[in-house]
Amino acid sequence: METESLYEITAYTENQVGLLSAIAGIFTRRSLNIEKLLVYPSKIEGIHKFKILTRASETQIRSVVLQIEKKVDVIKAYYAIDTQRSDQEIEDVKDFLSRREETNR
Amino acid sequence: MSDKRGQCISGGEILLEQLLIQGVDTIFGYPGGAIMPAYDCLYDYLDRLRHILVRHEQGAIHAAQGYARTKGVPGFVMVTSGPGATNVITGVADAMIDSTPVVVVAGQVSSTLLGSDAFQETDLIGMTTPVTKWSYQIRRPEDVAWAVARAFYIAGSGRPGPVVLDFTRDAQIGKAEFEPRSCDFIRSYIALPEPSDEAIRQAAEWINAARKPLVVYGQGIILSGAEQALEAFLDKADIPAGSTLLGLSALASDNPHFMGMLGMHGNLAPNIMTQECDLLIAVGMRFDDRVTGNLSTYARNAKIIHIDIDPSEIGKNVPAGLGILGDAKEVLTRLTARIQPRSCPDWAMEPILCNAVEKHKVIDPEIHPESGPLNPGEVIAAVSDRCRGEAVILTDVGQNQMLAARYSRFTRSRSFISSGGLGTMGFGLPAAIGAKIAAPERTVIAFLGDGGIQMTLQELGTIMQEGTGVKIVLLNNNWLGNVRMWQELFFRERYSCTRMLNPDFRGIAEAYGIPCVNVESRDELGPAIERMLAGDGPFILNAHIREESMVFPMIPPGKSVDQIMLNAQDWFEYGD
Repeated sequence: METESLYEITAYTENQVGLLSAIAGIFTRRSLNIEKLLVYPSKIEGIHKFKILTRASETQIRSVVLQIEKKVDVIKAYYAIDTQRSDQEIEDVKDFLSRREETNR
Repeated sequence: MSDKRGQCISGGEILLEQLLIQGVDTIFGYPGGAIMPAYDCLYDYLDRLRHILVRHEQGAIHAAQGYARTKGVPGFVMVTSGPGATNVITGVADAMIDSTPVVVVAGQVSSTLLGSDAFQETDLIGMTTPVTKWSYQIRRPEDVAWAVARAFYIAGSGRPGPVVLDFTRDAQIGKAEFEPRSCDFIRSYIALPEPSDEAIRQAAEWINAARKPLVVYGQGIILSGAEQALEAFLDKADIPAGSTLLGLSALASDNPHFMGMLGMHGNLAPNIMTQECDLLIAVGMRFDDRVTGNLSTYARNAKIIHIDIDPSEIGKNVPAGLGILGDAKEVLTRLTARIQPRSCPDWAMEPILCNAVEKHKVIDPEIHPESGPLNPGEVIAAVSDRCRGEAVILTDVGQNQMLAARYSRFTRSRSFISSGGLGTMGFGLPAAIGAKIAAPERTVIAFLGDGGIQMTLQELGTIMQEGTGVKIVLLNNNWLGNVRMWQELFFRERYSCTRMLNPDFRGIAEAYGIPCVNVESRDELGPAIERMLAGDGPFILNAHIREESMVFPMIPPGKSVDQIMLNAQDWFEYGD
């Protein structure tokens, strides 16, 4: 049995009705309890941020994060034990969005 | 281009205009209160949009799935709110797990009544979110064209899947200026990931160095249109390949590299070779537990390359030494350019040995019995032979499905349609209707059990009304055969609730005006198949098969893929 730790998952998303329940469902299906949940506008205009604390194994967390990112309206999802990476994520999301805009041009 | 462009028309009409732009020609549906405004608009579009009136909404979604999988375009379903909508959910879940592109539009009560427990109101978005690729509630006529275009793009692109649009009654009635929409970009959604050059280079290196490589492929080959790319890849590197249930027909059955079906009731060769190979190349498949058996021993001697379009599949069940994210056709084409032409002499023995044992111990007794009642496999093989592998084969779920997968031959892709991941009994009959409508020029055969046919039996009414030329082969033994088999093998022959008292199917067929013939003996089989295939119309061949029919080989649940039962007494022992 893999050891469980408290992980922080962050997801950057479009601001869409129903996304909270779509993401929550991913946890429910795996019997993972959400210890803490925050949803708020991120530092990028028009992009929302989910911050979710949950206790699980790293294998489970990796799978959960990929499932979150698979949702059409989710832009990027991350996980970590430490929480010192927020600025890095913002740069990463901005970079992703500008590359996506280029693809669309 | 639509002459309605720029006009102020109702949301219901915008839906239909946008459907035409999406290339939809067929609607599988059932009207009701909350979708009536859209159905009223449809009255003026019936010359351009064919509506198939099913007998139950589950029939509509399965028919749309059969249509989508035969034709390779999204199927379309229109139903009402409440029970109409909940009745499609089984099929939506089925389409999700089998990656089938379908778009469902369900009526919904007026937006002003949402949340009031109005008549036939139900939270469809809440109920379908876990089993859809996307679901969205349309509350304004201005959003209809946008939502429909987005729905078809999401359903059909990347790894396909179902989309549900919950369409409120007031948004159907209200008017907006119609501007045709197209959608081929969503910034948060990457339909076609770009394969990494480095990963492809690494994979080619592994393939060139492998002594005993094996390809295992799934429906991803068909969804990506990668059939020829796969063939070219296998040819160049002389690699044998096994197919998942849903990958069947991507390679022709007589392709020299085709080793057969993988998994629980698959062929011996690809399962044994999985354990013998030193490199396993998985393409467009998801390592379902029916394919892998015991995960801890699966492909225990092999490095694993996993090629898939869905990032969440790579490493999900089987750790991949190397994951390549991308479309199967593109990745295989690029890999083929990179690998050395070669032959794989180290594989000489396994297929010969395995096939000889399987033929002697399993296949011959099943399809060429000398006496006794008809075997289901014997009926399937006879039908498939007579169709020369050119028919579209539909199945229900259970023994009929596993045996149809084992004993049907295929000469072209998109010829095997079955409910794989969800295992939905009742799928076969309506899916066959959709398949025949999608490919009227092809022979469409549905192998059904006596249990499954009765789960959606009402769709015989749809066949009657539409004159759909589906050929139904009913493998009838008055048992829920697969469960009965498990009870015999694993539950000490305690046959709990699996015996069925069946109706006179010929009488039922007659009531629906569908020709039917009962086949009770071996002599009657050939002439009955001839008669079934002689005309273009629907037909039911009611084959009375062996009561205690079994499906072998079998990897019992929890066993490794080389722990294979050949019959109720013998286990296959490779290498002894």
